[in-house]
Amino acid sequence: MRQWWWMMPGLALLAGCQTTPTVLPTAEPQPAAECRWEADGLEPREWVRRALNALEADGFVVRDTEPAVGLVSADRTRTIPGYGDRYDTWERTGFFGGVGIGAGRGVSTGMMIGFGGAGGSIAQDATQLERVSVIADPGGVRVSRDIQVIDWRGELRETRSGSDAPFCRSLRQAMTAVPAGESL
Amino acid sequence: MRRAVLVSLLALLLAGCATATPAPEPRELAFAAAPEAVLQETLGVLADEGYVIRRADAERGRAEAALARWPGYRIDVTVVPEGQGARASLSATRGGRPLPPHLLDPLLAELQRRLGLAP
Repeated sequence: MRQWWWMMPGLALLAGCQTTPTVLPTAEPQPAAECRWEADGLEPREWVRRALNALEADGFVVRDTEPAVGLVSADRTRTIPGYGDRYDTWERTGFFGGVGIGAGRGVSTGMMIGFGGAGGSIAQDATQLERVSVIADPGGVRVSRDIQVIDWRGELRETRSGSDAPFCRSLRQAMTAVPAGESL
Repeated sequence: MRRAVLVSLLALLLAGCATATPAPEPRELAFAAAPEAVLQETLGVLADEGYVIRRADAERGRAEAALARWPGYRIDVTVVPEGQGARASLSATRGGRPLPPHLLDPLLAELQRRLGLAP
């Protein structure tokens, strides 16, 4: 029986392969109330036009638009310098060393002290990807946003919902500040 | 010898984790509304749940939504005309792997509440 214990870590990993959620995940926290507002008499296409202008002015790159369903989808990236240092502590610069004593025909001792670390960590920048969609229909406008951090290896390191009140308030302000112009 | 057998068994089980990913199974429901209205309402329901709508094509009745919760979720939407209404088909993946279709039932139930079922 005791021989089986060494398999437990492997079985635990395998159990991870099989895990599926019991409910469909949603954003946590849910989008703030500020991320949804009334149409105020404006046509969905006008909201789409305003969303395009506001997002582009804020540094977003528009990835898709579909005026027929009032969609604008955009994203924005920024570099996070030295992000690798945040978690890869074993790669940080530091001291190492050891002391040894050996015995053969005689006795000898030795000691070494080293200084090292990962000089490469300077280049371990990560990329933050911010994705936003604006949906406008006759009933109103909805904004959803999420944020991911992808490390220098291309691995996903952080994910979170970004549909928060400050962002949505700021986007709404930018969209409503635009004077009504020609339709799309 | 016994250890070799156990290691082989473990390797076989691990290989199971790396098999080719099958296409996600869709969940479908027919609604008493025009295809474009069904697509728009579906996007509204997804946005209310915090999903980011990545793309949509009203003419083809298709859309894709994503949620940045590890390891990444994606919902594909297809809406086709059916009789006087439209049929919506939703499928979901988690980290590129299909999710059980019954997980989409709450979204379809919400759509049904907003649009009404096809007779």
